Amino acid sequence: MQTRWDIGEPEKPTINADTEQMKSELLVLNMGPQHPATHGVLRIEIWTDSEIVAHAIPHLGYLHRCMEKHSENIDFRGVIPYVDRLDYLASMYMEWGYALTVEKMLGTEVPRRAELLRILTGELQRIGSHLMAFGTYALDLGAFSPFLYAFDYRERILRLFEEVSGARLLYNYIWIGGVWNDWTDEQLERVKTFCDDMEEEAKKYHELVSMNKIFVERTANVGVMSLQDCLDFGATGPVLRGAGYKWDLRKNKPYSLYSEFDFDVPVGTGEQGVPGDCWNRYIVRMKEVIESIKIIRQVMDKLEPGSIMGKVPKIIKLPKGEVYVRTEAPRGEIGFHMVAEQDQKTPYRLKVKSPCFTHISMLPRVAPGQMIADFVATVGSIDIVLGEVDR
Amino acid sequence: MHNVDLNQLASLINKNVNGANATAHVPEDKKLDGSITVETSHVAKVCEWLRGNSEIPFNALQSISGVDYMEWMEVCYMFAHFDVAAPRELILKVKLTDRVNPNVDSIMKTYPAADFQERECYDMFGIKFNNHKDLRRILCPDDWKGWPLRKDYVAEKTYNGMDIYPDNKMNYEDRDYIVRQAMIKKAQETKAQ
Repeated sequence: MQTRWDIGEPEKPTINADTEQMKSELLVLNMGPQHPATHGVLRIEIWTDSEIVAHAIPHLGYLHRCMEKHSENIDFRGVIPYVDRLDYLASMYMEWGYALTVEKMLGTEVPRRAELLRILTGELQRIGSHLMAFGTYALDLGAFSPFLYAFDYRERILRLFEEVSGARLLYNYIWIGGVWNDWTDEQLERVKTFCDDMEEEAKKYHELVSMNKIFVERTANVGVMSLQDCLDFGATGPVLRGAGYKWDLRKNKPYSLYSEFDFDVPVGTGEQGVPGDCWNRYIVRMKEVIESIKIIRQVMDKLEPGSIMGKVPKIIKLPKGEVYVRTEAPRGEIGFHMVAEQDQKTPYRLKVKSPCFTHISMLPRVAPGQMIADFVATVGSIDIVLGEVDR
Repeated sequence: MHNVDLNQLASLINKNVNGANATAHVPEDKKLDGSITVETSHVAKVCEWLRGNSEIPFNALQSISGVDYMEWMEVCYMFAHFDVAAPRELILKVKLTDRVNPNVDSIMKTYPAADFQERECYDMFGIKFNNHKDLRRILCPDDWKGWPLRKDYVAEKTYNGMDIYPDNKMNYEDRDYIVRQAMIKKAQETKAQ
């Protein structure tokens, strides 16, 4: 293939220096901690040979608060605001996962309406989180306007959450035994109109970004995380599904009422590029938005008036033992390993398994050989939230 | 929850890995999760078998968590099997009685996911993972002193000459954990009498 550089032998430059003595070495470059493409305070030490990345070494911990230690000194209900601050773009899921953990040990039965409201808020949160991922990812790649479109619609979700829980980001809405507040019929109507609008909007995004020539060129065949790599590193969520593996806890190991719902699990099929590349991870998220809308519509049909709080003792004390509960958050599986002692009002040990922590550990594997700009695309495509990585 | 018969799995481990000494712990309370404890020195071999066997394989390591029980420490490995037909989970444990120099073999070769997880466990509990390629702190700064998630950890007041824990912001509950534990114990004892 002839390129525009193939225009004959270049003239040999005359150099006075002894070229034998000249040596090249790798340049160490710090990406972050304040770098817009790292979506937070992540520092990646990149060893580059001009534009090509030779090694990438992630340095974490800039947002480390050791909430696992704090939670050992707070009662079980008091931990919820702390888990909120893990993945601050999908706080509902963090609360939900934690509440499920305590409920499992307590043996609490959650009322049906509360379960449905949890699914409703959860799926709305998933849409909000994926919109954020969509907007910032396009922003990483140099497209500014998708960010504005995405935030317009995310704002509508946040407004609803604000009315229901009183907060825009860190909700403290899902409590042990149920949810804190009920939704009014008017708010549910607005969710319905939101779903209709969002479905139309998603088509627009698809035309605007997903199939955009520049976007496809930037993301297809870039940052390929093969299925074997994903399993080796224990990747979950859109990263694993982007590699073409149909695995979703909501479908394969249903918790809450998910077994009653009818939805698909989108996987990366290699429509553009190959499964496991940035484009496939991205498209899985966009397809999940549509699936979430499907689930929300089914919730609307199932909702009936009823209690929203189960019977929970005033002072929660768990039996001696341990559980490990995992749920499907927008970024992957979030797991809570809780160890409790007899007659203690606080967790003895609470370990959080964070999906993004796992995904960052894959960066040293995929980075070598990439261009720096492609590396930015790869980091953006796994959609990290540092609050959850550093805990 | 786990979809695994722990007793059967433990006997399978004992059959296939010599000296693993696997014992299943199945709690009477159905709400709780059971676990399998294996010999500390054999954990790498057990994990190799867990991933490679054809009967009950586990294809993913989810996380590694440490638990400090004051007299001893435990390392819990959370495994999962991503398979639509048979999803399952397992908590595998090893017990470390040496608090001064706790160490256990790394399972990084079998499960590359263990790289960061073991580093985190080392960072928080000071548990050394033998044969780990790059064992250093991951969340705390490299020059941090102490192992934060151990129960006897006392938060430092200064770090590199900086006042990081001023008195007016002191969370005494955090700092005086041991004192508080002793008080709880005393209260329980008086209650029992």
